[in-house]
Amino acid sequence: MIDRREVIRMARLARLELSEMEIDQYQKDLTSFLTSGKKLQQVDVSRVEGTSHAVSVAHELRKDEVGKSLPQEAVLLGGPQVQDGFFRVPRIVEAQE
Amino acid sequence: MKKLAHLLETRQVSSKEIVEHYLGEITRQEPTLNAFITVDGDEALRQAEASDKRRAEHRPLSLWDGIPIAIKDNISTQGLKTTCASRFLANYRPLFDATVVSSLKNAGLPIIGKTNLDEFAMGSSTEYSAYGVTRNPHDQARVSGGSSGGSAAAVAAGEIPWSLGTDTGGSIRQPASFCGVVGLKPTYGWVSRYGVVALAPSLDQVGPLATTVEDAATLFSLLAGPDPKDATSAAARVFEVPTWDGEFIKGLKIGVPEEFFSKGLHPEVEQAVRKGLGALEEQGAILIPISLSTNDYAIDTYLTLVTAEASSSLARYDGVRYGERALALDSNTMFAKSRAEGFGPEVKRRIMLGTYVLSASHYEAYYEQAQRVRTLIKQDVLEAFKQVDVIITPTTPTAAFRIGAKQSPLEMYLSDLFTAMANLSGIPALSVPCGKDSRGLPLGMQVMGNHFSESLLFRLGHFVEKTVGIEGGAVGDKL
Repeated sequence: MIDRREVIRMARLARLELSEMEIDQYQKDLTSFLTSGKKLQQVDVSRVEGTSHAVSVAHELRKDEVGKSLPQEAVLLGGPQVQDGFFRVPRIVEAQE
Repeated sequence: MKKLAHLLETRQVSSKEIVEHYLGEITRQEPTLNAFITVDGDEALRQAEASDKRRAEHRPLSLWDGIPIAIKDNISTQGLKTTCASRFLANYRPLFDATVVSSLKNAGLPIIGKTNLDEFAMGSSTEYSAYGVTRNPHDQARVSGGSSGGSAAAVAAGEIPWSLGTDTGGSIRQPASFCGVVGLKPTYGWVSRYGVVALAPSLDQVGPLATTVEDAATLFSLLAGPDPKDATSAAARVFEVPTWDGEFIKGLKIGVPEEFFSKGLHPEVEQAVRKGLGALEEQGAILIPISLSTNDYAIDTYLTLVTAEASSSLARYDGVRYGERALALDSNTMFAKSRAEGFGPEVKRRIMLGTYVLSASHYEAYYEQAQRVRTLIKQDVLEAFKQVDVIITPTTPTAAFRIGAKQSPLEMYLSDLFTAMANLSGIPALSVPCGKDSRGLPLGMQVMGNHFSESLLFRLGHFVEKTVGIEGGAVGDKL
């Protein structure tokens, strides 16, 4: 069984607040998932490189031209909290003592 | 669709009448089916009227101008809600169209609405949608498949003539098979993914669902092509709908991989696919037994890669610029709470697994290992195409299962047992109906080909439909 503290660490890395019940559940899920990973570790891959994309074509690069951007008002429309042309968020740095 | 296009062209029917017909079907069937998350009848009718005006002025945008379509709800539509079946994006209205949506609009197709899926396309049944399950039109106690279950069910039920889905490990083909319609997962890179909400960017593709192979090919012709907005789109390749003569079948080498006809395969599915293969052989195709032994690792490799990529893709949902936000006093708590409230259990599970395989201490043992096994799988597949022209397998191990039947996540993941290989290797794969089981549930045959061989897959699929005499499984009224 994977360590419960490891599950809590993953949740923190993933910015997910989990309930005690969820931590229990994902502890089980992660453990059973590792069987899958262990199966792959039996495969001899010493002679191959990894594949990150299925079709190896040279990526077509477009010209770096200045295009039209979305208007600021339109982009701000989707924001949960907006003020003075900015997205407003809760405090991100600790206050100075 | 040709018939419909002809009726439009000769002004025997108007786009408005067609859209009204489908809106009527949607109103009648949605209370039980639940294939749509959003229906925008007013806008569809406006688009239809604009189309009729173009036809009256003899300047239609394409042959298909005025024929409506439905879009899976993880594909961005400007101003029209795009929820990804998640609470997180319950009120999200994109500021731009996905390139595939622009292409459809440029061809004059009215967009009738957005179809249901598993949340962020993670699932095989639509049971993980925050907006309820989509029922199978052939049996309401069963799932429509997933994640593009809404797109498949809507087409099968006659709520819409065709639709768009996305496929990361089988999400177009499996629901197409469960609902008795045609679905294509195109070659990786042939269809733009710009504006398509990412699940696993190295595997995701957009593709067509329709009642016939010819319609699927027609729709694909509107989607395929390079896009400067998507760096992974393939350079300058154009797809043209093939001619439908049957001569090519003589001497066509069809690979039949034994691994796909072994344990876990329902006997009735095997029987139906073997019957189809037998019929193709009678028509002059050559069946060649082959081995794709790396398919044993396909699901495990797929799971590792898809969870890793998903955890990274979904990092953007932080409640800052769009989506739902939870109240909190500091930003880190705000992110964690918003994500906790916005995401459903399967999405959280995959984020957790993905974060684990990508974390510094496990990266090499899991993620990098899976990427290397992926290379072996790809080599295995490409090696097979040195011997054969196409590979035929069942699309899924069973027919549509009952709602609530799959209790564990691993059980659900096995739905992709026969389909994930095509995504891992980037090849195109088409699911075509190949009869029904004893309970009347549709079954699907999967035809896989080498990169960019869609034309051959469609020709073969069409041949299966017409010559072999295997009927499609759509249950809805056809116009």
